[in-house]
Amino acid sequence: MDRQEAQSRMRLDQPFSRRTLLRGTGAGALALGAGGVLAACGSGLKGSGPSGSTGTITIGFITPLTGSLAGFASGDKFVLSQIRQSPVYKNGIKIGGKTYKIAINVQDSQSDPTRAGQVAQQLILNDKVDLILTTSAPETTNPVAVACEKFGTPCVSTVVPWESWYGGLGGNPVKPTTKFEYCTTFFFGLEQFLGTFEPMWNRIHTNKVVACMYPNDPDGNAFRFGFEPLIKGSGYTVVDGGAYQDGTTDYTSMIADFKSHHCEVYSNAPLPPDFNTFWKQASQQGFKPKIATVAKVLLFPSDTVALGPLVVNIATDSWWGPYMPNHSSLTGQSAAELATAYQQKTGNQWVQSLGSSYSLFEVAKEALAAVSDPHDKKEVASALQTVNYTGMCGPLNFAAGPAPGVAIMAPVGVQWKKGTGKYPFEMKVVDNSLNKKVPIEAPLEPTNA
Amino acid sequence: MSWVNAIIQGILLGGLYALFACGLSLMFGVMKVVNLAHGDLAVVAAYIGLGVIAITHVPAVWAFVIVVPVFAVIGYVLQRTLLQAALDRGVLTTLLVTFGLSVVIENGLQQFFSANSHSINIGSLVSDSFSIGSQITIAYLDLVILVVAVVVLLGLQYFLSASASGRLIRAVADDPEAAQISGVSYRHVFGIAAAIAFGTVALAGLAFGMYSQFDPTIGTDQLLLFAFEAVVIGGLGSLWGTLAGGILLGVAQQIGAQIGAQYELLAGQLFFLAVLVLRPQGITSRKETA
Repeated sequence: MDRQEAQSRMRLDQPFSRRTLLRGTGAGALALGAGGVLAACGSGLKGSGPSGSTGTITIGFITPLTGSLAGFASGDKFVLSQIRQSPVYKNGIKIGGKTYKIAINVQDSQSDPTRAGQVAQQLILNDKVDLILTTSAPETTNPVAVACEKFGTPCVSTVVPWESWYGGLGGNPVKPTTKFEYCTTFFFGLEQFLGTFEPMWNRIHTNKVVACMYPNDPDGNAFRFGFEPLIKGSGYTVVDGGAYQDGTTDYTSMIADFKSHHCEVYSNAPLPPDFNTFWKQASQQGFKPKIATVAKVLLFPSDTVALGPLVVNIATDSWWGPYMPNHSSLTGQSAAELATAYQQKTGNQWVQSLGSSYSLFEVAKEALAAVSDPHDKKEVASALQTVNYTGMCGPLNFAAGPAPGVAIMAPVGVQWKKGTGKYPFEMKVVDNSLNKKVPIEAPLEPTNA
Repeated sequence: MSWVNAIIQGILLGGLYALFACGLSLMFGVMKVVNLAHGDLAVVAAYIGLGVIAITHVPAVWAFVIVVPVFAVIGYVLQRTLLQAALDRGVLTTLLVTFGLSVVIENGLQQFFSANSHSINIGSLVSDSFSIGSQITIAYLDLVILVVAVVVLLGLQYFLSASASGRLIRAVADDPEAAQISGVSYRHVFGIAAAIAFGTVALAGLAFGMYSQFDPTIGTDQLLLFAFEAVVIGGLGSLWGTLAGGILLGVAQQIGAQIGAQYELLAGQLFFLAVLVLRPQGITSRKETA
């Protein structure tokens, strides 16, 4: 898909609300007024080299602290407190014989693509940040990356399937030859989704018919056009439930369709409330797939509480957890220690975005340590492209991914099990096909026996 | 047979829409207030229900007994203060005030409850159903919601047309000043009407909390639109019409879904547009009341 199409899709994805409308029109008015000025100084700004000669490096961090994606960011405040206590971020980093202090400027995207783009622009133009880190779903990461590429500021994204990020910037994920000068990302993609889900499907005895519930939004379409061929390629039959709209309140006809095709495997990429409605109705209508592997939902404990006992033995992907054999490259703290510290400090169950947000700051440090002038945006950007280190999210190599500037993580397959301690449900590793270093914690069980 | 199933599921879904639309219809019919905070208020009710269940550990059904009266009181107070003050300045002001209220509620909920999703746990009822033949499965929860919607809407219609208080409400709705001259405090009557409307909003919010899951933004993003469509399809200000409108909207969506999942919401919107074009006064209303 071309760049404009990708961007308009991104916009369409956002459920239409007053707030979106207001911000949209507000932003439009602003753009109209300031368009000339921006165009005038845009060329001057881009890749302008040293943007300041101060002894402080400013890092912008854009994350959806509020709004519908806030579940992704629920651990980010804690991660920031951990990062700020680490030696490098507390005492400064030594570059070329000079010690630079590091300041972190946190901005809330409010889960709104328009807002995300605005704060990125603000950080670049007003706050003159040296580097931007961003996380949690295309709605936040893509507009931020587009702004960074436009104004020439180094950017690292995470928790966005790399194909979605690449397409959002205007690249073609099928032939990923375009190299973006300022933007990099680390996460995984459709291939890893299949690599996590398929072994689980294979281990449960089924008729190999997969019910696919993919909405008509960027993630849903990425799965429809990218994932379905992969499923078919591995010998499974696909029953596509149709490109329903986000926010649909009744799924009985889709369920009837799945039932009439006797689907025993279930795959999806919906919005959380839609999955909740679907799964309740599936259970009412007697659609009981033997193995359900979900994407985009049930990633975090808060989603499981809303669905209750129906969540048990639903499988999903996990890119981070206390079971990962990883250690912080900043402090040496282990993944398990980070999760425990989070639970003790906040009283909440650990979330897998703790690890990915943490690693953003590790990657930033790796790149900064490799340059001669941290204010030289071009130099920092090209250092990001070659970061290769092992930290909280395991080994990340930005030079060896499926596309330039993309580092791939190794997720594992997990199932939600009834909690044994304080929390009602716990994520347990049941399949480690892609990451053998992670120990299996529980047996893989059919979602519906 | 699958078409029969689609229509049955549509009627069941329509019950939920009609229940949602009831309060909106009543507020508009009596006070001429278009309550843009309607969906958010329903979400507030769901949150209060969740809180009541978490604190008292009563079965979910008892949440209705507590939340509905609480909401009726909130409705009365809000009508006598904020909404009446807006009404005194003109009907358009109420649009702005309820719009503002909606923004305040949404952000307030986000502040206090975070953006996490919740659902009201009703145990095994959530997955219980019975079958007619091999293809039609009816969920008890959906059936209960439909029955509640029918009882509430028809009960209110009867109350308005047959009881003395109902006549008072209708008189005030027709001409507040004339009613005032006849010795009726129309502000008080408006308050009573708002109390009833808010009670039904609470019912709808709790029902939705069991049916799906809710978060602070879902009220405006999803619920308000369907409620509006049900009211407009049925005819503004008519409760009979609202019930019919909700059910027709549900059936239209299900017929769309039967053709293809991508047409589910589209079919509902097209039906709504068709009604607006062909019969703007609504399915059940007479021309002059439109």
